Amino acid sequence: MSFELTDEQALTREAVRQFADTAVAPLAAEIDRDHRAPLENLPAMAELGLFGMIVPEDLGGSGAGSLSYIIAVEELARRCATHAVIVEAHSSLCCWPILTYGSPQQRQAYLPDLAAGAKIGAFALTEPAAGTDAASLTTSAKREGDQWVLNGQKVFITNGGFADVFVVLARTDPEAPSAKGISAFIVEGQSAGLTVGDPERKLGIRGSSTTPLIFSDLRLPSDALLGQEGQGFGIAMSTLDGGRTGIAAQALGIAQGAYEAAVAYAQERVQFGKPIARLQAIQWMIADMATDLEAGRLLCYQAADREERGLDFAVQASMAKLFCAQMAVRVASTAIQVLGGIGYTESYPVERAYRDAKITEIYEGTNEVQRLVIAKSQLR
Amino acid sequence: MTIAVIYKWAPDAQEASVDTAGRVDFSRAKAQISDYDAVAIQVGRQLADATGQGLVGLTVSGPAGGQPAATKAALARGLDSVLVLADDGLDRLGPSAAASLLAGLVGQLDEVGLVLAGDSSIDVGARMTPALLAGQLGWACLTDVERLDGSASQWSAQRTQPWGVETLSLTGPAVVALSPTAAPLKAPGMKDILAAGKKPVRLVGLAELGLTEPAAGQLKATAHLTGPSRQGVVIDVSDPDAAAQALVAALGQAGLLIEGRA
Repeated sequence: MSFELTDEQALTREAVRQFADTAVAPLAAEIDRDHRAPLENLPAMAELGLFGMIVPEDLGGSGAGSLSYIIAVEELARRCATHAVIVEAHSSLCCWPILTYGSPQQRQAYLPDLAAGAKIGAFALTEPAAGTDAASLTTSAKREGDQWVLNGQKVFITNGGFADVFVVLARTDPEAPSAKGISAFIVEGQSAGLTVGDPERKLGIRGSSTTPLIFSDLRLPSDALLGQEGQGFGIAMSTLDGGRTGIAAQALGIAQGAYEAAVAYAQERVQFGKPIARLQAIQWMIADMATDLEAGRLLCYQAADREERGLDFAVQASMAKLFCAQMAVRVASTAIQVLGGIGYTESYPVERAYRDAKITEIYEGTNEVQRLVIAKSQLR
Repeated sequence: MTIAVIYKWAPDAQEASVDTAGRVDFSRAKAQISDYDAVAIQVGRQLADATGQGLVGLTVSGPAGGQPAATKAALARGLDSVLVLADDGLDRLGPSAAASLLAGLVGQLDEVGLVLAGDSSIDVGARMTPALLAGQLGWACLTDVERLDGSASQWSAQRTQPWGVETLSLTGPAVVALSPTAAPLKAPGMKDILAAGKKPVRLVGLAELGLTEPAAGQLKATAHLTGPSRQGVVIDVSDPDAAAQALVAALGQAGLLIEGRA
């Protein structure tokens, strides 16, 4: 068993870290304060190849693999959780289902532009009355001739305000048992009948565009169906399996950034005539944070590595997400504690990390859902 | 024709730490292609694409510089191939010796007419390696170049001097050291990283090139800062007003402030 990154994975970390340090970090506080998406950084992210990491080379991506992709998300989140979730939602929740379930024509039509970052992707599952109980969704898609007609509402759609391509889950058979009657569709952002609502004002990841979508007699061609009719719930669940590793990586990056800020501060802040890093109380906090990070990284990378090698990884992804999400909240909280009063202010990034970390316990499956997945695997 | 870029695989100076006695500790600094050399490679890539030439990286290094991690890091920056002279002891060369061996590497290439270097390449801050290499080759040399354009045989270089911006025309082979501002530094893209492992790498040793380690006097950084001693004053910045007062007091105590003047 090797725990060493390949040269390519190490170079990916170095490259994304350089980009995050120079282009992402300077914007992070501002977009958080102003609740605005960092659209000015999207071209540079596209040029770096961040939007095509899980797309194969023959479809315009780099085919960098799951672990390199996870490392990239982690490095972005280390500086700004918003930038990380833009890439994560685009890649894991839009590119992946099209790559995995799309017809050759659909892959060719959408993935080259998505991989190049010429188009940004999003995933529309959640509804006002269908959150964790996703199978109860009510957005409908009715067949009319050779078209599908979409009606309904989605909420909390990441990248919603600027996405060009949405993977949308809708009920195509109201008579079928709840999960069986759902299908997935590819919906273009400029479609007539699609209205994007105002972005939510959130506790954290404030730069992430989180919007409702309203479908009003939105007409889709028959070839907009992704996968088979009635396969949508399975597509959604398997998409979220991969997404969970991405959110685990986001949580890991948030925690890493908070930890580094705490360590740097502890070495500079003088109390009782010496840097507080020399106080055992602070050393214990740093030791606990470092251990938490190492454990989270191992879980997260293991899930990504299994996915890359074609092994089952759903349970490992749930374990990684559950642990990393809780760990990120814990580490960010401890980081604030290390900084004391100044850590509670916007002068340092740790309060933002604390706010950003909380969502990782909720989206793409709450902590409780991850426990259900894990427990089910243990009690077979 | 070929454009060559000299680069070095060396510890990242940003990761070095300096203790209160002025000792520089590189022990925890990871090796990398420096930002200076990355700029040179970037400019080389632009020129090679514009003039239809190949772009080769040249380096003289200890054995670590020949490892895949090092060659891929250089190739991911945009080089087409690398020629690496890696041998024991070559990571501690002074600029004269390094230039001598680099000239040997240039001699291995066919039809090279331009060698690019980063602003602070290889020579413990002396910035002499490009000039020494040009001397070895008998070529023209320009330093501090901020912009370089041209064709395969004629180049136009621009640089800022104290008296203004000057433009120089270069005909024939030349060594050009580029300013850090010659190109905006970019991280290598994901496709570049994955392509790096598929590009040609030629590793050579001194014996293979018929060279011996130059007998020139060795220049070795002592890794010890000289000049004004560091006072080791740490100012707590959690209270900005108090921090400003403490800074003023510390500067005054060091005799660096003149009373009555802003």
